[in-house]
Amino acid sequence: MDKPSPFFSNLKCRECGRLYPKQAIHVCDFDFGPLEAAYDYDAIRPVLTRAAIESRPHTMWRYRELLPIDGEPTVGTQVGFTPLVKADRLARALGIRELYVKNDTVNYPTLSFKDRVVSVALSRARELGFKVVACASTGNLANSVAANAASAGLKSYVLIPADLEQGKVLGSLVYGTNVIGIHGAYDQVNRLCSEIAGKYGWGFVNVNLRPYYAEGSKSMGYEICEQLGWRIPQHTVIPMASGSLLTKIHKAYGEFARLGLVENAPFAVYGAQATGCAPIAHAMKRGTDIVKPVPKPETIAKSLAIGTPADGYYAIHAMKQTGGSAEDVTDDEVVAGIRLLAECEGIFAETAGGVTVSCAKKLIETGKIPRDGSAVLCITGHGLKTQEAIAGKCGEPRLIKPSLREFEEHVYSKDTAAA
Amino acid sequence: MNEKQRLWLMFPTKLVTRPVLWELGRQFPVITNVRQASVTEEIGIVSLSLEGEREEIKKAIAWLEELGVNVEPVEINTIEG
Ligand SMILES: Cc1ncc(COP(=O)(O)O)c(C=O)c1O
Ligand SMILES: [Zn+2]
Repeated sequence: MDKPSPFFSNLKCRECGRLYPKQAIHVCDFDFGPLEAAYDYDAIRPVLTRAAIESRPHTMWRYRELLPIDGEPTVGTQVGFTPLVKADRLARALGIRELYVKNDTVNYPTLSFKDRVVSVALSRARELGFKVVACASTGNLANSVAANAASAGLKSYVLIPADLEQGKVLGSLVYGTNVIGIHGAYDQVNRLCSEIAGKYGWGFVNVNLRPYYAEGSKSMGYEICEQLGWRIPQHTVIPMASGSLLTKIHKAYGEFARLGLVENAPFAVYGAQATGCAPIAHAMKRGTDIVKPVPKPETIAKSLAIGTPADGYYAIHAMKQTGGSAEDVTDDEVVAGIRLLAECEGIFAETAGGVTVSCAKKLIETGKIPRDGSAVLCITGHGLKTQEAIAGKCGEPRLIKPSLREFEEHVYSKDTAAA
Repeated sequence: MNEKQRLWLMFPTKLVTRPVLWELGRQFPVITNVRQASVTEEIGIVSLSLEGEREEIKKAIAWLEELGVNVEPVEINTIEG
């Protein structure tokens, strides 16, 4: 058993503030409010200085005092510190003065930001003595749990809807995990998973380990601040499924300001969804914090297609409180966003990235993000995982015979004429 | 064997004024315990624990859904992206 962390003190109910011990629990007994990790910032302040952070390895664990485990991380120790790319060509295309792309398409080991959350969840699962870990997912989370559990020697189960694309299924199966496909409507699958999580004493990363899991997303916010030269960006555009990533980036910026690691400057967070499943963005646009479930999500952005977002309410409050807003875009705009990012910056993102780019475009066009401002786009997963979304939509190779005459006639002369 | 389930209920406009939980308590041998509620003219959201035999809880949930109440486990979504 590790000594308790002097920095991570308790779990705390987001509704009533009651404190709970750091166990595998996720809702308040009193009001069913979600539990969240709480820290002793006065203890962290003298230890976690810029110099201390800068002296550590380039992974998300350089901010470990702000992550909810007791001992040293044991799973996913190499995750994070992905590039923050200054995106001048995309800035020009979107019509904004300054733009950065936080590129989690190259996160280690499974090419999405989910490696951040899983790294924390499984490190904590081991501390709490779990031998079996599990999750229910439509893709990225399943891939990450399968890979990280394999490398940690933990047994794992990943539950998926029965009709998932082959690529995502293979991306879990290859790690030797137990992949269980479930037939049935989305809400029935949800109910089964919450019953399984309650029954078998497994570490379910996004159920009984959720308070730990969710905190991993903060590392994306910390890295953005550090990579910008220790400042909070004015505007951050973030894709939303459950809304957890957005609320955690908001929390991360607030914590860095509170610890004096960055200046306490104003900032705004903006949420991005696909129109075919936009419960949070639509509530935000209606001016309410009551999120109406979407029973049948219909979008190519499957990684964001969560009809009953657990953190929707909190995401709306984070956007409102910072003066941000939400946007949603059609499937055609998602494809256009993927292509624009690829053509401008050489970054191939999955559908969630297309959502983020095209929502940013709309936010800039409508003046919600000012053209003379500076923005960061959170690009959270790799395009090789969702190839079917753009197959046939990026043109075709031009086919020629192996002769120079053919090349000149069909390629070179046409291209120079067009130039 | 008794078990306890923690649920979020969402009532549509047409049911906001009907004493649904009172009716539920009369029809099924389950203990209802409201932990939090927010009711507007348009929508009612209630967090509720139901305690009783597993089969009775299942029947009570099916009855609520039949009426048009949206019933979710407290972990609103367990499936992630
Ligand atoms: C690629 C990608 N981006 C963004 C998200 C949104 O995450 P959250 O559920 O924290 O809002 C997800 C996951 O669900 C995802 O897979
Ligand atoms: Zn509480």
